[in-house]
Amino acid sequence: MSDLTKQTPADPSTIERVEITVNGQTVQARTDKPLIQACIQAGVEVPHYCYHPGLTPEGSCRICQVEVQQGKMPARVMVACRTPVMPGMVVNTETEGAHDARRECLEFLLKNHPLDCPICDKAGECTLQDYSFTEGQGEGRSVEPRRKLEKRKDLGDVILLDQERCILCTRCVRFMDEVPKTPQLCVAGRGSHSTIETWNDTPLSGNYQGNLADVCPVGALTLKSFRFKARVWNLTKTASSCGECSRGCATTVEVLRKGEVTRIRPRHDEDVNGWWMCDTGRFALDAFSLADRLVGTLLPSASRGWDATSVENGLQIASDMLTTGDKPLLIASPWLTQEEGGELLALGQTISARVAFVSTASNDLADDVLHTGDPGPNRRGLSDLGLEALTAEEILHTASEHSTVLCIGERVARLLGKGEAEGFNSLPPSARVLLFDCELPDAPTEGNSPIDIAIGLPSSVERVGHWVNIDGLRRNILQARPAPAGVWNTLRLLKYLHELLTNREVQS
Amino acid sequence: MSHETYLLSRIERGDSHTLAGYEAQGGYAAFKKILSEGTPPKDVTEVVKESGLRGRGGAGFPTGLKWSFMPDQERDSRTRYMAVNADESEPGTCKDRVLMERDPHGLLEGCLIAAWAMSLHGVYIYVRGEYRLSYRRLDEAIQEARAAGLIGKNIQGTDFSCEIHMHKGAGAYICGEETGLMESLEGKRGHPRPKPPFPAGFGLWGQPTTVNNVESIFNVPFILERGADWFKAMGSEKSSGNFLCCISGHVEKPGVYEVALGTPASTILNEYAGGVWHGHNLRAWIPGGSSTGFLRPEVIDTPMDHDSLKEVGSMFGTGSMIILDQTASVVHSALVLMDFYEHESCGQCSQCREGTQWLAQVFQRIHDGQGRMEDIDLLSDISNGMAPGKTICALADAAAIPTHSVIRNFRDELVEYVQAGGHTAVSKKRALPMETV
Repeated sequence: MSDLTKQTPADPSTIERVEITVNGQTVQARTDKPLIQACIQAGVEVPHYCYHPGLTPEGSCRICQVEVQQGKMPARVMVACRTPVMPGMVVNTETEGAHDARRECLEFLLKNHPLDCPICDKAGECTLQDYSFTEGQGEGRSVEPRRKLEKRKDLGDVILLDQERCILCTRCVRFMDEVPKTPQLCVAGRGSHSTIETWNDTPLSGNYQGNLADVCPVGALTLKSFRFKARVWNLTKTASSCGECSRGCATTVEVLRKGEVTRIRPRHDEDVNGWWMCDTGRFALDAFSLADRLVGTLLPSASRGWDATSVENGLQIASDMLTTGDKPLLIASPWLTQEEGGELLALGQTISARVAFVSTASNDLADDVLHTGDPGPNRRGLSDLGLEALTAEEILHTASEHSTVLCIGERVARLLGKGEAEGFNSLPPSARVLLFDCELPDAPTEGNSPIDIAIGLPSSVERVGHWVNIDGLRRNILQARPAPAGVWNTLRLLKYLHELLTNREVQS
Repeated sequence: MSHETYLLSRIERGDSHTLAGYEAQGGYAAFKKILSEGTPPKDVTEVVKESGLRGRGGAGFPTGLKWSFMPDQERDSRTRYMAVNADESEPGTCKDRVLMERDPHGLLEGCLIAAWAMSLHGVYIYVRGEYRLSYRRLDEAIQEARAAGLIGKNIQGTDFSCEIHMHKGAGAYICGEETGLMESLEGKRGHPRPKPPFPAGFGLWGQPTTVNNVESIFNVPFILERGADWFKAMGSEKSSGNFLCCISGHVEKPGVYEVALGTPASTILNEYAGGVWHGHNLRAWIPGGSSTGFLRPEVIDTPMDHDSLKEVGSMFGTGSMIILDQTASVVHSALVLMDFYEHESCGQCSQCREGTQWLAQVFQRIHDGQGRMEDIDLLSDISNGMAPGKTICALADAAAIPTHSVIRNFRDELVEYVQAGGHTAVSKKRALPMETV
């Protein structure tokens, strides 16, 4: 596990807790965390900008002011993110003094903040907006001209900086220092002339830049790829897991009204990814917006192209193929969930098939933060289930020994290699290839195709199930949008096929 | 006017900055005595505590008490440091400069005694970057003292070792704040640290550290040599000893004078500084550096000590008086100060970053004739939003106190500016000259 998730001691018994009162509620607060964490734990929201639970507290934005009464001392308003938890503290976040202090602070923060909300991508999930609303600081008394700074500062391929919107909470600076440990951002200038900059305007680098847009509490750091794409309140959010490596970071998949996956963001999971995710996973949106999607059942046409038929019909043909000839070979993609993998294994036993999954080669994206370098999200799970791990080369080599090969799962055709000379084309023409995938395979030329039947599958944002990550932890995936019409759920499809095969076995 | 002086007693000699000149006037005797007698460190701290010496850097915190906050050597074996704050940058203040330029060995002896009292491993003197002569004189003094076996390993053949290092500031006011100074010494941006943790527990490089002003440390050898009672006999009841008063502005004889604490400000103005220049009347005065605010002439008889100035709504600060005569504009002077604080805010805390700029902008508008009556209340609200104690360090307070003082003591002038339409319209009064602030 990466060290950033080890911010808490592994052994919960070593955490010291003391009893404090937050808004009249008794809380067992951790002494190794600032007071604000105890408030959050008690379900009390305290406005905060510079504080981020995954970063070192800074205590500079001064918004998280709460009233604290301790011992015989009179109650005082103090910042919750830099106040250590002491036994017997009585915290009240809703006193007039605390509200006044926060309102005052907001007026200062808003003094130079541009009124960009109508065109700002952060609007709707901006905490400066939220807290201005909750604290009732709608109007400022400043009549001075607002600060003019760079509106569109290019920080590389991923991030664009709007210095005018920045409230200098320095979360981004601390993120770069502490999480990927590649210090690249700094505060330049002093006082009201302070700006966030990179050294000599060097573009940002690394695989974790996308997190900057998440840690930014306002719309100063935005994702170039998300700019002006959507208003955030139009996004439907679903908790899921990332499938770009075997870490399986907890994510939120955000889908726009028409069904396009517009943004994927990390979701807090203490045991896996903390608050972060890598850019590889965040920007892997292409897999969910395939231009040539495989829908329904396709059979190579006698003349050219494909002939379409229903899924029921397709599965009937598939069951014929699987029950004729010698021992079939079933190949799963590592994107198959445990549920689907289990069903495939059961199906394989029914027809005495050899069941394996594509063991993907490691890529060079591995780092000591999150990315494991292994692109298959359920390698560990399928392996635990008892599926044989075979590389693409091994599969193609052994496939020629089988008269029928069923390849099932997201990206399975890609993993085995697409194109003329490789992949299915390298198999003998006598071999029957059944492909169940999301992506449309190459069209047959004059009735010739290595693929004898192709059936469409839902992608990992269109189905439910779970993967098992590299550390053996369950990673749930949830359906973020419906699959296209004519695409069956993988599990339903496998069960239907299994039933057909069972009936055939019984008949014979 | 006649009273015992000691702080500036040695500087008359031309060679007062050399080791020979210093030793000829009894220098290093107090330190050598402690060293040879092996006085227990706790006793040294106790004498300083007993003397009632209060820090001369601005806050007036008892020096001996601050020393006693350093953790017990036997229970805490970490490296221990002292940082001497020689980043004298409070507008109106130039007292430490005189001591460092003319009597650097006095400071070094104070550092060595402090090092003995707190079992320090090293002392850092953080000198304001513009103080080139101070830096050179201190540097030469350290070399001389090291050659004479007074600094370094096994001083005077004893087990006691202490290094004294120098560091040059780069021109930031905020690096004179104790935690900002420590960050700067560590090579980082001079961003003050939130307290707690306090420097005595977690200071330079995370080690126990005490931060003292030059003048505070300079007092220590005298106290050790002549005794706590001698020191307590001078000054006022709760503020003992003499202090160096830098008086500047519209006076006949600006300069640094050694004055007993508790001396009325009017005495310093009239008897030491020769009164307001050209026989003019007093318009306003600042008692202890720009952050202590503008006071009215009616309170010029206030004794210059920590408690008396508190009673008139101000502070002793660095004890540096700035005098404005009848031709000066308090609003313009306040604008000059607010520009200074806007320029010097480090920008960490929201209130200070935005507030110092806002105050400067509002004063600028009032000065330029675009002021509104509601701006007076706005100034008050901005200052209340910034201080007291709402930010990490006291810079926001330093900007809020003068603003409050203008509203409280010179509201008439603010109203006059708003009604008449700005500086040029109000009068042909000369503003506070830039060099005095």
